[in-house]
Amino acid sequence: MTDTELLLDRLSAEGPEPSASPFWRFAAPLLGVFALCTLGIAATLDGAFDPVERYGVMPLTAKWGFAFALVFLSASALWVLGRPARPSASVTIGMAIPFIFVAAFLALEFLQTGPVVRGATWRTCLLAMAVMSPIGFAGAIFAARWLAPTNLRRTGLSAGLFGGGVAMIAYSPYCPELGMGYMTVFYCLPILAMAALGWLLGPRLLRW
Amino acid sequence: MDQQANTLGDPLDRLMAAARGGNSAAYRRFLAEAAQRIRARLSRKMGADSELEDLVQESLIAIHEKRHTLDPGRPVAPWMFAIANYKLIDHWRKRGRNIVDLDTDADMAIGSESFAATDIEALLEKLPEAQAAAIRMTHIEGLTNREAGERTGVGVSAMKLRVHRGMLRLKDIADEDRLND
Repeated sequence: MTDTELLLDRLSAEGPEPSASPFWRFAAPLLGVFALCTLGIAATLDGAFDPVERYGVMPLTAKWGFAFALVFLSASALWVLGRPARPSASVTIGMAIPFIFVAAFLALEFLQTGPVVRGATWRTCLLAMAVMSPIGFAGAIFAARWLAPTNLRRTGLSAGLFGGGVAMIAYSPYCPELGMGYMTVFYCLPILAMAALGWLLGPRLLRW
Repeated sequence: MDQQANTLGDPLDRLMAAARGGNSAAYRRFLAEAAQRIRARLSRKMGADSELEDLVQESLIAIHEKRHTLDPGRPVAPWMFAIANYKLIDHWRKRGRNIVDLDTDADMAIGSESFAATDIEALLEKLPEAQAAAIRMTHIEGLTNREAGERTGVGVSAMKLRVHRGMLRLKDIADEDRLND
């Protein structure tokens, strides 16, 4: 009996069904880093939702709308990219949709008032994004590694977008800034930087 | 409809469906059939490589360990070959060499990373037939420039030139593909 035949015997003895639910094994690390980032920010900063009392729900709705959409789309992309031979171009392109909305609102703001980029809390915002994005990214990488991604750069990019989106969701309730220019510079650019890092690191971190 | 027809017609799909239905003997037969097909596919890409069987085994282990990524009802073969292809690319990366061996004076100037993560057959299809044939003969079948030249009726220098030009063009195509990814 050849080595390959022995291997076939061993593998077939383990059976055709995986031991755990595929979806929950994938979702658990994503939900875990989501909880970690949210609780981490809550333990560090005071005044969650104070900006809502001062400025109403619209600023937070815009930030959360963008970030939740990005997290959902990037998690979906990770799921699809982790399944070999599944077409992934549309889910990859789909992750650009939230950014298109931001660009449209930014253009509107530019025409009406000029871009509102400045904000007193930009340092806290950048720090929160810099600390929380890698945590979310790590969770996404962990989740993706359990699947079988064959396009590692694209998967790394999706993980980076997920990490940035999670960080934004966690910090947004504390953010009193209102401008779309601010959102572009202090949220979108750090998220894109995290995505670029994921693109670069994907082949190293996701190899299986 | 086509996909369903293919799914019903392919023994791999029937065996996997039976295996998931609780038939463990069907899973053994599925793995054996998968091994056979992967071996045939990889031998076309690798040629007579001494590590072919190792790579077949690596692919089988990956298919088994990642079997949860195959959605029920989807055709097995594309999923299986995508995994085998990924393992092949990883294999070349680990060995630190090209999908194509750069072993002649004419094409040594091309960097070793040029064709990493690339399907060489897909690339060759983009070349003029004469250049693609020259590279297949000299770098996949393992013929010398002289033997390849005799087979096609051209001189050694002409064969070297075809290989060289083909390799340069392949590098350009691989770079373009990488930029487009």
